[in-house]
Amino acid sequence: MTLAVTSTALLAAMLVAARAAAQQIDPRLERLDATTRPIVATLVDSARGAALPTEPLVQRALEGATKRAAGEVIVAAVRRLAVDLGHARDALGSTTSPAELIAGAAALRAGASPTILTELRHTRREPLTVPLAVLADLVASGVPVDSAAAAVLALAARARDADLVEFRRAVERNIALGAPPAAATAAMAASVQVNAGARQQRPGRP
Amino acid sequence: MRPAAAARRVWAASLTAATSIFGARAPAAQTTGTVDIAASTVRYDGFLPSGAASLTPALSWERPGAAVTARGTYLRFESGRRSLQGLVAASLFTPPGLLPRRWRGELSLSAGGSSYADFASFWHATGEAQLHFVAERRGAWIGGTGGRSSYGRVPRPVAVAGIGVWTRRARVTVAASASRSFVGDTAYSDLASTVHTGRGRMELDASLGARVSSRGAGHGVYGEVRTTLTLGERTALFAAGGRYPTDPVTGSVAGRYASAGLRLRTPLRRPAIRDPWRVSRSPASGDGEAGFTARLDVQPAPDGTVRLVVYAPAAATVELAGDFTDWQPVVLRRTVGGAWESVLRIPSGVHRVNMRIDGSGWIAPTGTTRVTDEFGGEVGIVTVP
Repeated sequence: MTLAVTSTALLAAMLVAARAAAQQIDPRLERLDATTRPIVATLVDSARGAALPTEPLVQRALEGATKRAAGEVIVAAVRRLAVDLGHARDALGSTTSPAELIAGAAALRAGASPTILTELRHTRREPLTVPLAVLADLVASGVPVDSAAAAVLALAARARDADLVEFRRAVERNIALGAPPAAATAAMAASVQVNAGARQQRPGRP
Repeated sequence: MRPAAAARRVWAASLTAATSIFGARAPAAQTTGTVDIAASTVRYDGFLPSGAASLTPALSWERPGAAVTARGTYLRFESGRRSLQGLVAASLFTPPGLLPRRWRGELSLSAGGSSYADFASFWHATGEAQLHFVAERRGAWIGGTGGRSSYGRVPRPVAVAGIGVWTRRARVTVAASASRSFVGDTAYSDLASTVHTGRGRMELDASLGARVSSRGAGHGVYGEVRTTLTLGERTALFAAGGRYPTDPVTGSVAGRYASAGLRLRTPLRRPAIRDPWRVSRSPASGDGEAGFTARLDVQPAPDGTVRLVVYAPAAATVELAGDFTDWQPVVLRRTVGGAWESVLRIPSGVHRVNMRIDGSGWIAPTGTTRVTDEFGGEVGIVTVP
């Protein structure tokens, strides 16, 4: 009798817990299929338990859903992002904001080393979101990681976010005009007077 | 080697190198090629005005601390006469740590030749050493050049000493320099200033200078204005005009000109981001090189909203989806001039976005940093400050 009561109570408790867990699943994940949803929810819960931001994981899953990716591909993408966020926090410190962690994860994924992220943290007192984003952007544009890191580290100490964004745009313009990405980055980081011998010809003069 | 032949060979080498990689992915991230196609009207001092068409291929190779550029220009005048110019230039920089912080050394070598209508030929070979002081928003340099220059006769020694300063405020960079040059018996001093600015896809350069204390190289004030409009990753329009002085080192004759043309460049090499998923090359999966040129402009406003503008004149519908819309498609509103827009609240930070035109596949818009996503396509990365 006692065993039966205990079993019933345990079963009821599990059902309640399962329902509670089901209720905690982000409703936006309803867009995932029934197989993928609980796995992604578990990954999100694990991240929450590790004090990592969960919103980027949800967004990555939703991105996969919008692009009609297969469930296992979505799960792999979310899992990989969670790992990247963890690495970014290891490099940037436990007090790093979610926005900084997202940018740091993107920089790591682009090829920046954790050492660069740590150095950037020591270089700049202000939030690192924009410098990290600019770093990832430069690398994605073809600038070698060491050149991009050198430029961002040189600017990050005192440059404002808006200056960094404008720096990124200027580099993009120079690359579009034909400058090798590393040269464009170095030239913009040190203004325009460096590289006099091999600077790109400005078009137009006959 | 005769100067004219040297000019032809340099020009041919740069043309071959630039065209051989054109249309194919650059073999390395730091090798790029460009071709400028331009129409000009020019009046060299002492000559009648003339129309001219030019073709200028250039090839640049870059690695950290070193750069090499080769370029040539083929210029055909309306009289049927032609001009060939070729130049190879290289720079080597001191490695970080060799000089005190904020200082950097640069050694440059330059060699080139030119010929006009098979009867006037120049060549030069020079070396330049510069010491740069580079601060966050300002800098200075001092340098010296030595070498040889020839106008079809015995080579003449070249010696130049120069000094310059620059400063940058917001989007504007201003520079000024002074130099004293000796080319054989010719001696002259140049005072020059330049202004550079850019906004969006537009870039503007202007220069103003004067030649003073000249013996055999002319006097006067000169200036040029040049603007460039970037159309996409591989194309730009440019227009330029003004007056430039004689350069006794390279043999260019003073002249007034106006030019307009198109610059084409090799495609950008995308880095091999550590991603196990291959990028599909179909337009439906986001291949930005498959003919989609719609560009996304992200315009933050002081009130915290962000205006997203897509230029797609031929589109019937334009949708955006990103991590700021929970990846739910947002239909943009058509405005004037082929633009589509939406105003959203987007927090500061790094965001991922895709675009869909006329209900086709999701693509990464130009104007964003496009990277491979994890789902077999590309996604655009934008930063909202």
